[in-house]
Amino acid sequence: MSRPPAGRLVALFALMAFAFGAISVRLMVLQVSQAKELQDRGFDQRVRTIDLPAQRGQILDRNGARLALSTPADDVYADPQLVDDPWGTATRLSPLLDVGVPDLVHAMTSDGTFVYLARQLGRDASDRIQRLDLPGIGLLPTSRRSYPAGPLASQVLGFVGTDGVGLTGLELGYQDVLAGTPGERTHELGLSGQAIVGGVDEERAPIAGASVVTTIDRDLQFQAQAALEQAVMEQGARGGTVIVMDPRNAEVLAMVSYPWFDPNTFEDAPSSTFRNRAVTDAYEPGSTNKVITAAAAIQERAIPLGMRLLVPWTMPVGDYVIHDSHSHGIMQMTLGDIVAESSNIGAVKVADRLGASALATYLARFGLGHATGVGFPGESNGIMLPLDQWSDTSLATMAYGQGIAATPLQMVSVYSTIANDGRWVQPTLVRGTVGPDGTLDEHAAAPTRRVVSAETARMVTQMLAYAVEDGTGTNAQILGYQVAGKTGTARIPTGDGSGYLEGQYIASFIGYLPAGDPSVVVAAILDRPAAVYGGLAAAPLFKRVALAAIARLGIAPADRVPLPPHALPVG
Amino acid sequence: MVFGIVVVNVLLAQTSFRIGEAERHLEELSEDHLELVREQATLSAPGRISAWASRHGMRLPDDIRILHAPGSGPGEPTGADTPSSSTDPNGTKGSGAKGDPPT
Repeated sequence: MSRPPAGRLVALFALMAFAFGAISVRLMVLQVSQAKELQDRGFDQRVRTIDLPAQRGQILDRNGARLALSTPADDVYADPQLVDDPWGTATRLSPLLDVGVPDLVHAMTSDGTFVYLARQLGRDASDRIQRLDLPGIGLLPTSRRSYPAGPLASQVLGFVGTDGVGLTGLELGYQDVLAGTPGERTHELGLSGQAIVGGVDEERAPIAGASVVTTIDRDLQFQAQAALEQAVMEQGARGGTVIVMDPRNAEVLAMVSYPWFDPNTFEDAPSSTFRNRAVTDAYEPGSTNKVITAAAAIQERAIPLGMRLLVPWTMPVGDYVIHDSHSHGIMQMTLGDIVAESSNIGAVKVADRLGASALATYLARFGLGHATGVGFPGESNGIMLPLDQWSDTSLATMAYGQGIAATPLQMVSVYSTIANDGRWVQPTLVRGTVGPDGTLDEHAAAPTRRVVSAETARMVTQMLAYAVEDGTGTNAQILGYQVAGKTGTARIPTGDGSGYLEGQYIASFIGYLPAGDPSVVVAAILDRPAAVYGGLAAAPLFKRVALAAIARLGIAPADRVPLPPHALPVG
Repeated sequence: MVFGIVVVNVLLAQTSFRIGEAERHLEELSEDHLELVREQATLSAPGRISAWASRHGMRLPDDIRILHAPGSGPGEPTGADTPSSSTDPNGTKGSGAKGDPPT
């Protein structure tokens, strides 16, 4: 055998040395100069960070009954690039998602790498989907907002969108409180998706949102809604509003407007039903506003209580002729008679003695023209012209509640002030919040202010009791209880402000009981009822709701208040 | 020493799996709890109870009268059936707008 030439051995050696050197250099580059970068790249591939959604807080009634809460759910998505059998996959998913097969196929054959197939699916269904182990189908954890009582207090509660953010009502107003703070978890995963023992595993726990405790009484709210729905049906009304308030602390016990909606299926409801009209919509209150005229007149001593005014049926004011609702001869009326019989002309005569400046002052003191500050999104100020913009008829019309607009909540607040011995208390819908540790953080006491003296308030209460006992509000009488209240039948302005709709009225009755020691104020308002008048259409609704409040709250009768001086016969 | 390290690693791995399992179990129980809370709230909703009562023939009486036992309140101790009456001294009869519909 001949030995290979030495040259070839040298060449082979040189080649091997070069290769070894190249590998060494490459190793040096990888292990030294690029080591950090490559380590980071590998780390990034192993480490996953996922968001941990915070549990949204609940909304509770005043007794702890749950009105809104969140439960775990999943969003179902597809990666169309990874779905190998769209029709087969859609057929298996369709019954679980309650979505048609063609719609699912359309979604799963679309461009892109991500498409939602269903949002906020319950855990039962999503567990079944996970067990199917379908290629290209995935789940994202989320939560679903539930309203266990359906349409109960829906306009107060509002609802949240699919992204979990409040869109209306308290869900919107208390979004920051309810939402909590999302957390995140970072951990190292192997190829199979299993956590690497001893690897990175860090978690920043989410902070659950606080729960909001409302002043709403769930059972009374239900009774109020049932009564309102019945009244609307009986009267063929377009809608209506009921508010129940505790006058001692201005806590709203029930608040509803008809028509309402079910927040569990808000997508199917007309958006007009979302509005909490009791707070967001102003209406001309009509004769219920006479309580302010009367209170101001008493407080300012504009008219002695026993003084008899001559009240005709009609009276010219500026370019207009104002008249009472029904024709009558010239009558002698005291202030009490004017309130009880709801005389427009009488109210105008009282306002004349009071003066525009004083009436404007008391309208503002009672809270008209300013939002109550109840803390509800979109609360209306109502409409009250500044005194320097009053026309020559403003004093007259405002005396009996036209030419001025207030929200139902503002009007309830007016009567609550009288019932509370003349002291206004800011209405409230929320008592406080309950944090994750379960402690109740009560809101600070609501602001208050004195509007009229306690003596004035007592005199007005007597007049309102007279109105129910022998005036326009007799349909609000409740056996065993003395009720104080006032009817209202108000014309409805046209949308363009050019006047009033012909023959269309808002009927209302606002009152409280027991007159001698008021425990509850109820406002009953109906939009264009068949019976037209507050005393005929709204007073029976007030009575139904007041009876429910008596039973629910255990209200006992109180000493009767005497009727005010009057010129008209009683009984 | 090598054997010891292997044993420690195995124990660590087992503990890690147990913790993961316990966390999943806790999460499931929390979800079940929330679901039960929701169910309880749904079942106790007054609308559901009212509908159930209606289906079973229950209804509210047409004329609700609330009676208070003697001593339960300052006025109208037995109550309820006595029509309200004026206590003022001016209650003279006469003509007026008594029959007028309300406003």
